[in-house]
Amino acid sequence: MSSSTKLRTEEMLLNVGPQHPSTHGVFRLIVKIDGETITEAIPVIGYLHRGTEKLAEDLNYTQIIPYTDRMDYIAAMTNNYMMVHTVETLMGLEIPERAEYLRVIVMELQRVASHLLWFGTYLLDLGALSPLLYAFADREKILAFFNELCGARLTYNYMRVGGVKWDAPEGWIEKVKEFVPYMRKQINDYHKLVTGNEVVINRLTGIGVITQEDAINYSLSGVQLRSTGMAWDLRKDAPYSIYDRFKFEVPTETAGDCFARYKIRFREMQESLNIVEQALEQFPKEGEIMAKVPRVLRTPQGEAFTRIEAPRGEIGCYISSNGKDKPYRIKFRRPSFANLQVLPKLVKGQNIADMVAILGSIDIVLGEVDG
Amino acid sequence: MLGFAKGMAYTFKQLTKKKVTHMYPDQEMVWPERFRGIQHFAPEKCIVCNQCARICPTNCINLIGKKSEDPNKKGKVIDTYDINFEICILCDLCTEVCPTEAIVMTTNFELASYSRDELFKNLEWLDDNNTNVRGGDA
Amino acid sequence: MGAYLEQSFGLQNSLVFILSAVVLLAIVLGFVTYSIYFQRKILGWMQLRIGPNRVGPFGLLQTVADVLKLLLKEDIIPKAADKPLFIIAPVIAFVPAFGVLAVMPFTDKLHFADVGVGLLYYIALSGITVLGVITGGWASNNKWALIGAMRSAAQMISYEIPLVMSVVGVILMTGSLNLIDIVEKQKEMGMWFFIPQFLGFIIFIIAQLAELSRTPFDLTEAESELISGYHVEYSGFRWAFFMLTEYVYIFAMASLTTVLFLGGWLPPIEYLSFIPGIIWFALKFVAIVFFIFWLQATFPRMRVDQLMQMGWKVLLPLSLVNILVTAVLKTVL
Repeated sequence: MSSSTKLRTEEMLLNVGPQHPSTHGVFRLIVKIDGETITEAIPVIGYLHRGTEKLAEDLNYTQIIPYTDRMDYIAAMTNNYMMVHTVETLMGLEIPERAEYLRVIVMELQRVASHLLWFGTYLLDLGALSPLLYAFADREKILAFFNELCGARLTYNYMRVGGVKWDAPEGWIEKVKEFVPYMRKQINDYHKLVTGNEVVINRLTGIGVITQEDAINYSLSGVQLRSTGMAWDLRKDAPYSIYDRFKFEVPTETAGDCFARYKIRFREMQESLNIVEQALEQFPKEGEIMAKVPRVLRTPQGEAFTRIEAPRGEIGCYISSNGKDKPYRIKFRRPSFANLQVLPKLVKGQNIADMVAILGSIDIVLGEVDG
Repeated sequence: MLGFAKGMAYTFKQLTKKKVTHMYPDQEMVWPERFRGIQHFAPEKCIVCNQCARICPTNCINLIGKKSEDPNKKGKVIDTYDINFEICILCDLCTEVCPTEAIVMTTNFELASYSRDELFKNLEWLDDNNTNVRGGDA
Repeated sequence: MGAYLEQSFGLQNSLVFILSAVVLLAIVLGFVTYSIYFQRKILGWMQLRIGPNRVGPFGLLQTVADVLKLLLKEDIIPKAADKPLFIIAPVIAFVPAFGVLAVMPFTDKLHFADVGVGLLYYIALSGITVLGVITGGWASNNKWALIGAMRSAAQMISYEIPLVMSVVGVILMTGSLNLIDIVEKQKEMGMWFFIPQFLGFIIFIIAQLAELSRTPFDLTEAESELISGYHVEYSGFRWAFFMLTEYVYIFAMASLTTVLFLGGWLPPIEYLSFIPGIIWFALKFVAIVFFIFWLQATFPRMRVDQLMQMGWKVLLPLSLVNILVTAVLKTVL
């Protein structure tokens, strides 16, 4: 534009959230836009902060478990496990076989449920209405299993230090066995419905590209990291529980864009189903579901940090104990929080529609981001 | 070019499939045995050991015991027992620790009300909440 | 109807005009009511749900209840809004939507104005609606509304061109802009225009979806990006007017597609001509409306830059090729 006809232009400050439908909760993003292009994005978090870590200092170990349910409320089973696993490590407990198998089964089902929810809401972000309903119908089946197992659909409070609260009810294992092939078929149907759609492919390829260097520098984990070609999965690389007994692959892509993350999540669902299938095959006929634990759980003085592979990435728990029944300090490494940090870098220079797609592909849960 | 056509065929096929909607207020929800709903409290079983109030992660249980009226009996009997459902998270820990199963879960879950005050449930209310008790016949 | 137009303006014929306009409005409102119901049912069934079922038998009165609620709702005008423009915007949007129906022939006898340049009238008038959208978005004094309005302006103008270009083929083959003549020509040829003008038909369908802002081109509303785009600040009956505009346009566009490419009131084979034309018209019309809702159940939204690229770099050249081929063929044959 020549200087004589120069129009006065100005950047617009747009406030995305905390009530924006695509921020998946109460996330707020202040974006500076030039037309529809984002020049700067400033995330504002903390709207869902409940101070779990501080509250937990005043609670004994059993009481903390329901609080962990409420952090990553889409995948509460892995949160349960992350917390009890740390206490068990600190106390040096042996977990009975049957309990370990139940834990692995529910955690992998949880991964499928979590990715299903992500799939539905992500497509809703992209403007497709139906996948949400299909995904929820299938997720509902998993939630029904959990409901039958532990009496709740979202905040399970299922695991206990030393085992699990409930044994599998009669017929439960068989029902899950039937579910696995059904879910495989459904995943294929989703590929038919969405993955091949040209609009989806065009919208997701090449946007939100994370380089491997960035991924490591930003301490990204889970799908974010694997989409850059790094085959890092704690279930494989630092096996916890009984994951070393199962055969599964760690899906990776090298593109690092939204479509790579999309594809990885689908393949992870398949792998999770494989693990569930193997676990159901090997499931011990009988056995204890709780280790011998004292009535009042006291951890020895010291500290422990464990990390596991949650659907959203590496979730870790650090406990510093001074020998009481309550932690002196508890700290959670929340993958959504870490993964979110790369967002301002990713959305810079993209337009608003892409911002929604990128944010969705990171798959955050605000309960976890804010802690 | 065929990608979206497959998707369209898929959605078209769903037209006649069985619907998953549960007609909730018309049809009752059927919950599994272990479902965690509003607690039922049986005062005659309570030994006022206070364990439920202590394990509660949100401190929503308040109870007061009194001396038994029967002088031959040892120990206390329950006088007041309140659960504040504004903060109760139905985590099932109170029923887990109760040695006499005085407090048990039911599968009743409808708590909506027009006032917060109504969410404060006392002993009588919890005693009357005796349908669909976990492990019971009803 | 045409005979009345030639008479001098008097009490009797003005009464006829008003009455027939009211009747058409009633039909259109009835259509809008039940197309929303139809849409929700179709979407519901496709999504393993059952759709509206609470108000009236099979939920038939759901939309009526919704409209009633909108009419009774408090009228909110944001403090910072440009009040006169805010009020006038839904009117600007709605009037042309209703106005275009004047030239729509439903059968060879049932039509209102037999205008020689019917098609041109339709396209010219429907272009005005975008003004209402921009006005509404601007007057709301809301950034989301502004972005939505700008998107919609860009989108509607970009797609108006391929839309017009795609029907030029039909006009060339008919030699008239009159919508009735176009149907008559299809009768004469013994085949509907979507066969000889297949490319034009496809372009027309895509461009009309963009004009209607339906999925996959619903960028102007884009509830997951722009919350609801240009009408984010509107509520109550003003919002209802924007919605009404949208659905009246579905009515108009589906009618236009039927007339231009699907032979209007003509039966598919001569043998079936004992069934009245209006039923054939309605059947084709419903099929198109169903198609629109079907797309809505399947597609995600396109991105704004890709939408523009598709409009200018794909649809426009293709429609020009279509015109060229049609013209050449018409001269040669």
